Amino acid sequence: MAEKRVIIKATRFDPDRDEAPRVQSYDIPFADESMVVLDALNYIKAHVDGSLSYRWSCRMGICGSCGMMVNGTPKLTCNAFLRDYWPRPIVVEPLRNFPVIRDLVIDMDDFMHKLKSIQPWIIRKQELPLGAGEHRQTTAQVDEYRQFSQCINCMLCYAACPVYGLNNEFLGPAATALARRYNLDSRDEGLKLRLPVIASSEGIWECSFVGECSVVCPKGVDPAKAIQQTKLDTTMRFVLPYGNRE
Amino acid sequence: MSAGEAPVQTATRTYRPSMGMGWWLRKGHYFWYVVREFTALPLALWLLWFLVEIKRAGGGAAGYSPHGSTAFVVFSAVCLLFALYHSITFLSLAGVIIHVKVLERPVSSRLIVASQFGLWAVASIVIGAVLIGFGR
Amino acid sequence: MTGPVGHARTQRPALAHLFWWFMFAQGGVIAAVLIPVHILVQGILGPLKVVPVADRHYDTWVTLLGNPIVKLYLLVLIAVPFFHFAHRLRYLLVDMGVGAAKSVPAQAVFYGGAVAVTAITIWVLLTTVPLSLG
Repeated sequence: MAEKRVIIKATRFDPDRDEAPRVQSYDIPFADESMVVLDALNYIKAHVDGSLSYRWSCRMGICGSCGMMVNGTPKLTCNAFLRDYWPRPIVVEPLRNFPVIRDLVIDMDDFMHKLKSIQPWIIRKQELPLGAGEHRQTTAQVDEYRQFSQCINCMLCYAACPVYGLNNEFLGPAATALARRYNLDSRDEGLKLRLPVIASSEGIWECSFVGECSVVCPKGVDPAKAIQQTKLDTTMRFVLPYGNRE
Repeated sequence: MSAGEAPVQTATRTYRPSMGMGWWLRKGHYFWYVVREFTALPLALWLLWFLVEIKRAGGGAAGYSPHGSTAFVVFSAVCLLFALYHSITFLSLAGVIIHVKVLERPVSSRLIVASQFGLWAVASIVIGAVLIGFGR
Repeated sequence: MTGPVGHARTQRPALAHLFWWFMFAQGGVIAAVLIPVHILVQGILGPLKVVPVADRHYDTWVTLLGNPIVKLYLLVLIAVPFFHFAHRLRYLLVDMGVGAAKSVPAQAVFYGGAVAVTAITIWVLLTTVPLSLG
């Protein structure tokens, strides 16, 4: 029986040599039905073309490193099964809306900066003394923010967001979802510190609820929901004198 | 390079792809999003017509003839399609944004969306009844 | 342009954006809940004479228009959605790549337009048919 094969069309870009990215086609064996796009890239790098550059780590959808465009959709390549695309060729491009450093590797500085700007850690006015023990939370309290805590910082949502694509100043889905994760955490007292960033002119108000971020999120974070709820909560803070100080 | 920090690496040229104007034609979801946003225009035009209709009532009985042309009915039919699309998308998404608690338990978004559509149905029936009832 | 952007700028809650978004949301609810039935009845069924409609009979229409509650309802029906339309259409232009739509002059045009429609609506409702409490 003839060996099954698949064609991977990967973006190549050498900043020292190329003016613009180009596409290189690789014809490789499709040996195993469980193969994912990341497996294909690893095969190419190991056996065909060692110069292909890309990020990856855990290969099991938890580290968030291997995000790329697969046939025009942002995906974790460790979660994109070849069998879902075969026999058509699979186009692998660097994550959209980010500067390309080389081949499939993008510059994520902007996201890292935005993530830091919303202070994604528990902020306390006063730390509990060690003797007081741990912060205690009921399941219900964890349920408040659990969904938004699932974010693995893979940036697929930024690649999917046309608002971010048109305006790199936009705070973006993941950063806003994570800000909400901490604002809803009963242990946190830092909402007022995050508000100037979230509610700034490049924050939540720029989101027009396209919703594609939530469609592509591999962990079901639903950042679109986080942003819309933040808009409502922030507005209520200013409209109601005493109410809804979430 | 980060402003205010010493460069850690030599400046490598990065490639910045441009967004392009056709981004919303690339995916069905993007296209329908743009349609959803666009619904504002036909609705605005129809309401402006309505304002004109109200103004015309000031011209006395003799001069009053409400719009009835085929063109107007076609215009209204098109506007109605956009209006329905606006209502369905807006009220559905209201379920995402509104989060309330009753007796410490979060109300399901399906219930919230159902209540929005219920409100729409009740309002339509009441207003329809008034418009038609006073027409007799 | 590489690297992080905008972090040198002081960030604070943009209250104007907050207000316009709030008006957008209110206008959206009003538009979603009230407008379709008006288009259906006054724009299609009435002109096609499928049902009798209030605005097709001069006397009934004028009587309704004189009523203060009707005037208030019409003000809400017509004016508030325009804040929704203004916001949505301005951002639609941004989405289509018209960066100038984000500028303060553009905001003045769009939101100012909604304010203008509100003022015109008030004027029309007050001057067309006198207020009658009968």
